[in-house]
Amino acid sequence: MEPVWQIPRPALFWLLFTQVALAGLHSDHLTLWLLGAGALVLGWRIQIYRGRWRYPGPWSKAVLVLLCGGAILASYGRLHGLEPMVALLWSGFILKLLEMQRRRDALILVCLGYFVAVTQCLFSQTPGTALATLGGVFLVTVVLAALHRRAEAGYWQPLRTAAVLLGQAVPLMLILFLVMPRLGSLWTVPQPRQGATGVSDLLAPGDLSRLGASGEVAFRVKFDGAPPPHNQLYWRGLVLARFDGRNWSRIEPGPLPGPGAPRGDGAGPQSREVAVERLGAPRRYQTIFEPSGETWLFALETPVPESADVTLNDDLTLTRATPLVSRWSHSLTSWMDYRAAVEGLGDGRRAMATALPGTANPRTRTLAARWRGEVDSDAALVERVLALYNRDYVYSLDAPLLGRDSIDEFLWQTRRGFCEHFASSFVFILRAAGVPARVVVGYQGGEYHPDAGYLIVHQYDAHAWAEVWLAGRGWVRVDPTAAVAPERIQTSVADLLGGERQFLADSPLSLLRFRGIRWVDRLRLQFDYADYLWAQWVLGYEYRQERLLTGWLGAWDPWRLGFFVLGAGALALLPVLLGQLRVARRLPRPPLEQLFERYCRQLEQCGVTRARGEAPRALAERVARERPDLAAAAAAISGLLEAGVYGGAKPDLADLRRRIRRLG
Amino acid sequence: MPGLRAAFDRRYQQWLDRRLPSVPACRLENRRLFIFPSGAGALYGALLVVLWLTATNFENNLVFGLTFLLAGLFVIAIFHTYGNLHGLELVPLRAGNGFAGQDVDFVLEIRNDGRRPREGIRLSYAGGESCEVHLGAGEHRRVRLSVPATRRGWLDPGRLTIASVYPLGLLRVWSHVRLETRALVYPHPVASGPTRQVLPVASEAGGASVPGREEFAALESYKQGEPKSRIAWKHHARGLGLHTKHFTDPVDQRRWLDWDDFPGLDTEARLSRLCGAALAADAGPGAYGLRLPGQVIAPGSGRPHREQVLRALALFGLPEVVR
Repeated sequence: MEPVWQIPRPALFWLLFTQVALAGLHSDHLTLWLLGAGALVLGWRIQIYRGRWRYPGPWSKAVLVLLCGGAILASYGRLHGLEPMVALLWSGFILKLLEMQRRRDALILVCLGYFVAVTQCLFSQTPGTALATLGGVFLVTVVLAALHRRAEAGYWQPLRTAAVLLGQAVPLMLILFLVMPRLGSLWTVPQPRQGATGVSDLLAPGDLSRLGASGEVAFRVKFDGAPPPHNQLYWRGLVLARFDGRNWSRIEPGPLPGPGAPRGDGAGPQSREVAVERLGAPRRYQTIFEPSGETWLFALETPVPESADVTLNDDLTLTRATPLVSRWSHSLTSWMDYRAAVEGLGDGRRAMATALPGTANPRTRTLAARWRGEVDSDAALVERVLALYNRDYVYSLDAPLLGRDSIDEFLWQTRRGFCEHFASSFVFILRAAGVPARVVVGYQGGEYHPDAGYLIVHQYDAHAWAEVWLAGRGWVRVDPTAAVAPERIQTSVADLLGGERQFLADSPLSLLRFRGIRWVDRLRLQFDYADYLWAQWVLGYEYRQERLLTGWLGAWDPWRLGFFVLGAGALALLPVLLGQLRVARRLPRPPLEQLFERYCRQLEQCGVTRARGEAPRALAERVARERPDLAAAAAAISGLLEAGVYGGAKPDLADLRRRIRRLG
Repeated sequence: MPGLRAAFDRRYQQWLDRRLPSVPACRLENRRLFIFPSGAGALYGALLVVLWLTATNFENNLVFGLTFLLAGLFVIAIFHTYGNLHGLELVPLRAGNGFAGQDVDFVLEIRNDGRRPREGIRLSYAGGESCEVHLGAGEHRRVRLSVPATRRGWLDPGRLTIASVYPLGLLRVWSHVRLETRALVYPHPVASGPTRQVLPVASEAGGASVPGREEFAALESYKQGEPKSRIAWKHHARGLGLHTKHFTDPVDQRRWLDWDDFPGLDTEARLSRLCGAALAADAGPGAYGLRLPGQVIAPGSGRPHREQVLRALALFGLPEVVR
């Protein structure tokens, strides 16, 4: 019968330590309730260890499980979804502590611990998170090592063991990471809820100015060739064509008819009113999106996506099949010179693009009607509105709040606003005058990394502009902000509004605040570059895998990959194997023992074989019987050996060696 | 399917006997060591699969990386687990003798001549208790393993299982070593009441005696209270002090433990009773002898005699050497 298993004290210590650490790691998405329950269970387990309390009975266990389940349901309002699942997992990890009576239970706990630690990466994928998760995995490994050590080995030995083993495993990890194919999602999984900032599909006055308070990165772009000039970097995200009197919202677009990637001349039948003509040179670029939790993507005008997950819509925006919950890298080609819907809008689309329901903003409507009569073309009307902005308005993040007739108030009272105020009022005036127009939101511009040459688009680059349908030209981009503050489009919002109170208000620690100090700015850009490389090579590795390995191996086929894994694996394991051999090598034997062995070998040649366990003296006596001629020499040697081994005497080794040699 | 299972076990034992024949002492080399994932290793494998599925479904390269790190950990653990037993030497030292129905101890020495400590090594014989040892670098350690003895005769403890799951418990490395060692198991002793075999045999030299009157034995210094009739007066008269004469009666107390004393019992029952009687006789004074069919051990006493008697009982009817 196996003796009753008692968890070694260091293992229990490390286990509790690890649980506290993992609770800290997950504290963002665990509620206070669960953390409290965790503390209770931890205390209970310590009391069990001290022999004060007992393991809970089946009833207490049931109550604890129900309590935790109830707490999760109460705090998250659901049991499916990633956060409640992780909370459930974590509760299991904690509660299992009270059931840990056998080593097997402890092993289940360890496996749960690994899983709980790793799930942290589903929520965040910064290098910091990766490092923290690695720490969690290390701690769980320490627990595993401590479980298989006797307690007397102490608290630090398992730490060493785990560090050595994980350290040796790192090369194998790298090989597997490089080579293992990524299959892509096998089935739909719940995604974490992102509270990420970013452009939304509902635009109210003040929404984009709020983004001006954030210094977070929205996405980064690397162009294949020379990047376009700053004033052409209009990153279209959403087309907002519905106005309810205050907010602009999206009319759900359909996919652009025809094959997904029409190249230049008409590839396939397209509906006339959404027909796109792509002109000029294509521009290919790769965008790495930060998780936004939304499905829309941002791209330069008339993009063609390269991923099957992405749809090109009939308003020339992009939609991803699933929300962006992790950093995601995607390659696109854009034709920035294009003509869309040149041949005219259908009645339905024209009605949608001129609709102004309700009777709000009467003053603006009157003005639009008057101007309509005064100009002879839609283009002239556009010019007239832009001239108005240029004359009397101020571009600022610090826009006053607007009431019910928001556009009237903006145009005649406050006269101060951010891009959404201008875009919104511009489209309103045009629509009121019967010209089809729509609001487009996205980002404008970006910051070029001076060394790495990629473009960083921050949240404060969020922008809204307008598109107007003009006869003979189709949809034309018009940016009212360019009329009021041309610098915004030419350089950067950071340079223009950096001094305002609202700018970066949500990012008090951002290094962007110290752009003026040269070395701080360099440091910020270095960090950004590291983050960029991380995103390129780690988070988006599947997009580089094939090209990289083809470059290394000459071709991409299973045989080469197999040989690569074998070869690199052998190289990675060689040091481990050599280390094992080195420590397994025998210790040098004591010199007397070696001499005794030589003595026995000599005697064997003389015909006297030592029996197993025969002592030197007995051997000498047998020599005297079987080879009387050697009796005296053997007796002397045996005597010396015996004195040395058992008597603690220090015989003259050289002399002894000489005597043994002379035997033969 | 007990038949299939038994057949499989038999084949496995035959294969083991061919691969690892019995040896006087052994060093655990590659040929002798086996390694396979343990139960915990299987659980860990399931964890890796779940992690891989998570990484694939969430398309998360960090989870991939950590999954591969844990997979690598498993591979590395193979080397460390294997290295924990590799190169150890096992030398049987001695086997204690015992009675059927009791446990018999086997003492062996486990030697680590390597430069690394060995942790958590579990040794056991089939059916016996296991024991766990830890060896420092260069340490030799004696281990006592008990094996239940069921029958009299030579007890071959069978294969010694030496196993370890150090350092992570994910893998188990083991060897089934057959060491040349055996223990003698005496019959299960059964008390048979007082034996009637106190035989008054004609006095012979070397017989036991009790204090009595028949034979003069010795002259000893007078102690207060001794009867005056015993005082050696002549001695006293010569001025040599006060002494008393001591006499003994020759008593033949040699017992015979005889096969034929237990008629109607089968061989093992007789041997058990003879064994019980021998132990009783050995505990009491006097000599005892053993008569078995075809074998007679002259009466005697003392430890070697006891061993001789018990050995004869243990091996009665069995070949001297079994393997």
